[in-house]
Amino acid sequence: MGDLSDLKEREDKLQGMGTSLLRKEDAKFIRGQGTYIDDIKLPGMLFGAIVRSPYAHARIKGIDKSKALASPGVVAVLTADDLKPVNLHWMPTVGADVQAVLADKKVHFQLQEVAMVLATDRYAAYDGAALVEVDYEELPAIVDPKKSMDKDAVIIREDIADKKEVGHGPRTHPNHIFTWEAGNKDAADAAFKSAEVTVREEILNPRVHPCPLETCGCVASFNKATGYLTLHVTTQIPHLLRTVLAMLSGVAESKIRVIGGDIGGGFGNKVPIYPGYVVATVASIVTGVPIKWIESRIDNISTTGFARDYHCTGELAADKNGRIKGLRFTALADHGAFNSHVSASKLPAGLFSICTGSYAIPNAYARVDAVYTNKAPGGVAYRCSLRVTEAIYLIERMMDVLAQKIGVDKAEVRRRNFVQAEQFPYTTSLGWTLDSGAYHTALDKVLKAVDYEGLRREQAAKRADPNSPTLMGIGISTFTEIVGAGPTKVCDILGIGLFDSCEIRVHPTGGVIARLGTMTQGQGHATTYAQIIATELGLPASDIVVEEGDTDKAPYGAGTWGSRSTPVSGAATAVAARKIKDKAKKIAAHLLEVGEGDLEWEIDRFKVKGNPSQAKTMKEICMVSHTGNIPAGMEQGLNAVAYYDPPNLTFPFGAYLCVLDVDKFTGGISVRRFYALDDCGTRINPMVIEGQIHGGLTEAFAVAMGQQIPFDDNGNHLGNSLVDYFLPTAMETPTWETDHTVTPCPHHPLGAKGVAESPHVGGIPCFSNAVIDAFAHLGVTHMDMPHNAFRVWQKLNELGVNKRSARRG
Amino acid sequence: MKVQLEKTYAMPAPAQLAWALLQDIEGVAGCMPGAKITERVDDTHYKGTVAVKLGPANLSFRGEIEVRALDAGTHSLRLFAKGTDSTGGSAASMDLTARVEPVDAASCNLTGTSEVSMSGKAATFGGRVMGPVADQILNQFAANFSARVQAMQAQSAAAASGASASAAQGLPAAPEAKPLNGLALMWAVIKGWLRSLFGIKGA
Repeated sequence: MGDLSDLKEREDKLQGMGTSLLRKEDAKFIRGQGTYIDDIKLPGMLFGAIVRSPYAHARIKGIDKSKALASPGVVAVLTADDLKPVNLHWMPTVGADVQAVLADKKVHFQLQEVAMVLATDRYAAYDGAALVEVDYEELPAIVDPKKSMDKDAVIIREDIADKKEVGHGPRTHPNHIFTWEAGNKDAADAAFKSAEVTVREEILNPRVHPCPLETCGCVASFNKATGYLTLHVTTQIPHLLRTVLAMLSGVAESKIRVIGGDIGGGFGNKVPIYPGYVVATVASIVTGVPIKWIESRIDNISTTGFARDYHCTGELAADKNGRIKGLRFTALADHGAFNSHVSASKLPAGLFSICTGSYAIPNAYARVDAVYTNKAPGGVAYRCSLRVTEAIYLIERMMDVLAQKIGVDKAEVRRRNFVQAEQFPYTTSLGWTLDSGAYHTALDKVLKAVDYEGLRREQAAKRADPNSPTLMGIGISTFTEIVGAGPTKVCDILGIGLFDSCEIRVHPTGGVIARLGTMTQGQGHATTYAQIIATELGLPASDIVVEEGDTDKAPYGAGTWGSRSTPVSGAATAVAARKIKDKAKKIAAHLLEVGEGDLEWEIDRFKVKGNPSQAKTMKEICMVSHTGNIPAGMEQGLNAVAYYDPPNLTFPFGAYLCVLDVDKFTGGISVRRFYALDDCGTRINPMVIEGQIHGGLTEAFAVAMGQQIPFDDNGNHLGNSLVDYFLPTAMETPTWETDHTVTPCPHHPLGAKGVAESPHVGGIPCFSNAVIDAFAHLGVTHMDMPHNAFRVWQKLNELGVNKRSARRG
Repeated sequence: MKVQLEKTYAMPAPAQLAWALLQDIEGVAGCMPGAKITERVDDTHYKGTVAVKLGPANLSFRGEIEVRALDAGTHSLRLFAKGTDSTGGSAASMDLTARVEPVDAASCNLTGTSEVSMSGKAATFGGRVMGPVADQILNQFAANFSARVQAMQAQSAAAASGASASAAQGLPAAPEAKPLNGLALMWAVIKGWLRSLFGIKGA
């Protein structure tokens, strides 16, 4: 016992942290045996179809249900007037606003929910919905947020027109929601006054949508006999949803069961609570039969959980060598018709104040003004923490703008401003304490891997050659993410702190079941959490079952979003496992008749120091813990539950580099190379991490190169189906090269940080920087996303780059 | 989604006849492909339907028409029409001014200026083809209008010559109000697009 090959064999058997264990959940998914929301069919179930407004802004003068009610299979038609008696025609939002569940006298955005038709099947429901006659009086719509606060702007929210504030300070206009500020404006202004160099750029993060493969939906089932409400629902936050349902419906929270089930992708889209869920729930409570509501793709893109729509202005002040002295970032935020933007209560602009990025910036000021427009509400963080993509996009773009202005290389300007490794923990001028980092190391590793000097030489040669058919661009992004919300002292939703939880039960024969307050949507939780427990408890990951999403089973938690699962629930898992291990150690000491201090841990057992033949394996202890042969006064069993309130968020970082070629004549872009180095601290499952990075980079590519939800002047959607909305397939997606460094998180029990969102946050500015770098020698400092061929061609055409006059003949 | 249209069509008939037809709202509607007046509420208010295929969307609008001005001095008509499609997913409105201008004793010009506004699915899916589709609808309308004016002319000529005993036939029947033929419309649109692409001036 104890020789190296034996140790390795025992370690390999656990498949714990650090091994690329294949995902335990995939066996059912690749066999098509997942149970998604639309797979759920309950006896007597009715189907609900939503009647939606063709207008972005209109008064409802009347609703005639008679033809719909006469349609075969239609059971009922619900409108705001029907929900009024139970006071559910409006619902509170997490943004301290209210949102119409079904339009009450007025519609505020195109395709807003006006009525729900309940019928015996989905076809009858849709046929019925087409027969509901709504008499509208069209009103002028506000689509451009820059016009929302004009003096003569039409008032969008008449219901709150006289309210002095909507949760976050005084309002200055009926279409104003809040103004949020961070940092020291006077100090920042002073830095700008005395600066040798200043740069300013207007930078848009257009309205986009996460567009998960599975749209949103639910099956609400209220049992009139028992008074129990069960809601099968596409949600990233089952426990918070249960609490909100209890508040809304008046049903005791103990009689509400929310089941997340298998979810086909969320990316933030499945965090909010949508009118469809509420109407289906009310309908089930009233009728006593299960009600199913499933979104169409168009409904999904048009009405639920958009992202971004931040109209930003970035300003940097620096010395002539590019050392930044001051930062002023502002944003006009288009929150749509209701402020149901998902954020923590005290953070109306989310974590936008991470906008100093990876850089030591002594003076900074940030401000966000949020306004109403006649567009869909419910803004979410699309594969990022709250407003982090917007913040990092702005700083990473502005670093390039500054480099161009002073004529210093774009990698070098970053290097000159990085927070130094020895400065950690580093508190930024906007108040976040970056726990750890090694930014120079990461950037240098990437530059070396791609032969950065060589690429710049090639680019210079191309620029000098008038016959080159392409422009070559090199993009760099050296981002810092902020994930793992979060410490209850700064983060809560509706007053509930954003802690998370894990309950572990160890069975007599060594099998383990762990239940958590998070909710997987494809992130591989069943594998990752099992590996943490395997390493902590010395029991094989193959025998560890992870269960989430059923609120009757799992302990309370805030769900999965903002890359919080590993930082918060991963920590809770380690803490719960360590409680069990402590108890197991006491049992081992009892069995071996030694003091606890005489024992040491080795992979899967406790052994007596200096006498390695004296040992008790965890598996043996599992059985013994269920007998009477345990220390006097100890309770049987090996179970523990932990609620973890993180002391800080985690700050994963990375250095990305993109090389691409722009066709001078078509505007088509081909990504030659994308090199992504991520540092997420301790790596639990390298394969799962790699998969998450591939996914995040692909969604970054999607946003940078093609995604956008456009509207016309009347608020009509001009791109809400997959005819228009860009979802990259294997055809368009570039090849990803990944790399990593490991800088453990000092405050996390495992040293781990979140990871799945870093590639999205860091990837988008990397692509944009590469595209704009291709034009840098022509004096271009910024181009807004998406960089699709048409828009890029317009720039080429404007600059005359696409003219063949430079060629002979 | 708004589109402004201004079109002039030459009519091989005297201005008086064209003006006479223009004042007959049911007759004018009859010239519009896919359109039909279903009810005359009063002299200036009508109800009607229009069926149109816009890209992938088959739309059947029900709505109201209001005659806002009828000026015999300038031979002009202004009407406002609005409607929603039968599935409630789209809405449209049109503000149209049509005018007849004499050219000589035997011919005139029919000029139409309109602003068409679309909401909902029609705008989302039909927006990108709306301009060319509207063009084709108007071209067909003008052709039908011209045919009817010519028929009226032939009839009045016949009546004047007294050669026919069957003068009491009245106005010729309006062309059948059927939805635009999808294939023919698509071809017309493509043809129009190709012409614009190669800079060919309209025939």
